[in-house]
Amino acid sequence: MSTDRFAPGVRVRTRTTDPAGHTRLPRYARGAVGVLVEQAGRHPLADDRARGVPADPQPVWHVRFAAADLFGAGDHTVTVELWQEYLTPIEEAP
Amino acid sequence: MSRVNDVGGMSGFPAVIEEPDEPPFHSDWEAHVFALNGALIRRGVYNLDEFRDAQERLPVQEYLAASYYERWFAAITTLLREKGVVAGEELELPDEH
Amino acid sequence: MSDDHGSSVISAQVRHVESLLESRGLLDAGEIDTRIDEFLAGGSPANGARIVARAWVDPGFAERLLADANSAIREVGLSMAGGLQEQRLKVVANTEGEHNVVVCTLCSCYPIALLGPSPSWYKSEAYRSRVVRDPRGVLAEFGLELPAGTSIAVWDASAESRYMVLPRRPDGTEGLAEDELAARVTRKGLIGTAAV
Repeated sequence: MSTDRFAPGVRVRTRTTDPAGHTRLPRYARGAVGVLVEQAGRHPLADDRARGVPADPQPVWHVRFAAADLFGAGDHTVTVELWQEYLTPIEEAP
Repeated sequence: MSRVNDVGGMSGFPAVIEEPDEPPFHSDWEAHVFALNGALIRRGVYNLDEFRDAQERLPVQEYLAASYYERWFAAITTLLREKGVVAGEELELPDEH
Repeated sequence: MSDDHGSSVISAQVRHVESLLESRGLLDAGEIDTRIDEFLAGGSPANGARIVARAWVDPGFAERLLADANSAIREVGLSMAGGLQEQRLKVVANTEGEHNVVVCTLCSCYPIALLGPSPSWYKSEAYRSRVVRDPRGVLAEFGLELPAGTSIAVWDASAESRYMVLPRRPDGTEGLAEDELAARVTRKGLIGTAAV
């Protein structure tokens, strides 16, 4: 079950909080809903590496957002590369 | 906390300016800073994320006033100090005294 | 800070740090010059142009390139292992209906080991802030007016992959050889701020 929660096509919401240190979730994509496009390898979380904290590799994803969902306007898409820890799958209504 | 580098979507920046026939580096020292950073990361003095973090932690006004490779050099010297590789006073040029 | 005097001051500071590090055994004499020479001899937009031209003449290569760029570029003698570590390369293809453009909003991530140093505009706050929000307007400033029906996909290099755009082959180039095609490809085309 848990392995299937993240897969291409799954809708996710990004983390809403603004952490104290280095992070690789751009603020324009904070708390936004997007769709997983493709996995982009596995890497230790950059936030942890910047603090010198040991971290296990985790999946990183290309996540596609509609510009209108990020900025309220625009007909383009923005695909951001995000560590899985930044993402929460949105459970589809049954 | 939101940092000065995190500019995606921010308003107020001007039109993009292209530099025709731009050289890889504009001064010799820029190439040295580039290579120095690579050498220190390869040796494990610090990692690339610590390097990015050190740039992002620069005082905002200093960050905004600095050129691209001036930011790099400021981050390198910050990390060398914080890692205990050099003492702060050692970084000052001898002829400044 | 970037006038001649400022430049000579920072030059002296950089040399001073280099000699400090040499005295601590963290830098070998001549290492910096060697690294600069190797770097300038290695990465270049010509590498990207070669990849693009091969993809234009060889549909099988194009397919492999889009599926697994790191493996595919070895077929033309290139690799993403020339930098600090091998990085994943993601190649995104322009089509009739969709144009791709690459940015790093958080810093300046770019496949430098493959393509050489990025242009200053790519590293500028002006480009990084605006292209995610108004790509059509920014591309127009570069002289690239896309048809209204062409959708735009912006890629933010916010993690470990590095990106390169595969432009569309220009019309009227059917008779050109692979090296002549490569000569048509520009660095801006590989980033997505030019058509080719």
